[in-house]
Amino acid sequence: MKKIPVEKIESGMILGRNVCGPSGSTLLIKGVCLTTALGRRLKNWGITSIYIEGEEDTPLEVYTSSISANKLKEHLTQKFSRVIHNVVMKKIFSAVYQHRLQKSK
Amino acid sequence: MEINKNIQQSLLNISSLPTLPTVIESITRLLQNPKTSAEEIGKAITTDQALTAKVLKLVNSAFYGFPGRISTITHAIVILGFSTVKNIVLTASIFEAFKSSDNAVCGFDLEQFWTHSIACGAASHALARIMGNKEKEECFIGGLIHDIGKLILYKYYPEEFSSVLTYANTEDILFYEGEKKFLDITHEEIGSYIAQRWKLPSKLQSSVKNHHNPLPVYDNYINTGIVHCADIFVRALDYGNGGDKKIPLLSENVWTDLELENRSLVSIFDTIQDEVEKATEFIYLI
Repeated sequence: MKKIPVEKIESGMILGRNVCGPSGSTLLIKGVCLTTALGRRLKNWGITSIYIEGEEDTPLEVYTSSISANKLKEHLTQKFSRVIHNVVMKKIFSAVYQHRLQKSK
Repeated sequence: MEINKNIQQSLLNISSLPTLPTVIESITRLLQNPKTSAEEIGKAITTDQALTAKVLKLVNSAFYGFPGRISTITHAIVILGFSTVKNIVLTASIFEAFKSSDNAVCGFDLEQFWTHSIACGAASHALARIMGNKEKEECFIGGLIHDIGKLILYKYYPEEFSSVLTYANTEDILFYEGEKKFLDITHEEIGSYIAQRWKLPSKLQSSVKNHHNPLPVYDNYINTGIVHCADIFVRALDYGNGGDKKIPLLSENVWTDLELENRSLVSIFDTIQDEVEKATEFIYLI
């Protein structure tokens, strides 16, 4: 089984493990034949990587990869750039950052 | 670039604007009579086969709490109640009305648009639940259709839509700000016009019309405020994309009136994420 980023999904690949959302509900069941459209859809729902069947195992350390805190901060800073001076938006920024970091662990 | 500044006028003359299935009107009429039975409503809905299939898929989704266990519309009404089923029928009808939006505007992904809309509906539902608001189903629909005006622009005015989209993304501003620069109308106004044509409740029309700037004087202010927050929160959580990559400013009066200051935003985001996940399968209905 191999872990790949959703961007690398190709049509015909077979899903090796169930895909769950960050709070645990099952989004896709293992054994499903994947398509590139499904890959885009998973990305839309915030899924970054999946396991596929039929290839060599990925080393354990790759399984535990998570979003880098710096990358997330950079992304949110760009997104909030025009409103971050506002006190309320600052609070939303830090709560979203905290929430997303926790969920990616 | 030639931009049509007369959308307001020409919109009135488009005869092919999406319509809701006629069954919606008969259900609304039936529901006004307190003696109407679940069987009668079920019978009215099942006259429309395509709609029935969508409604059954929706009621059996994780979002409504009975995944895969409801086999007929009558059964759904008994379990979920008239009001919830009516809103589910409305949701299915909206998906049905827009099922063939087959334009292609470069840089705009329809699936991302619907992901954003469904997530906004689910987040509005979650916020209403957190706040003890009894109209959480209405809030869901408010969130689901808040950007429906963008779809009308996309479908009937693709060149204008494309110009606004390109401008918004090049200048790194909100789609809404691009509309104000180029068009004589915004997606809020177009959306509320469609909601009016569809004879949706005036409260929903108001939510669509004012979701960028809800003010206490407007009809349905609290629910509109919920949709306003939900839109901002799902943008921050990166669910889909409604046409731009920026976060709008959250209205200070909404922040105060929904008492968000006293709540844990992190736990609100946890609840929203849960609710959005349960609604992910809705995308298959479009």
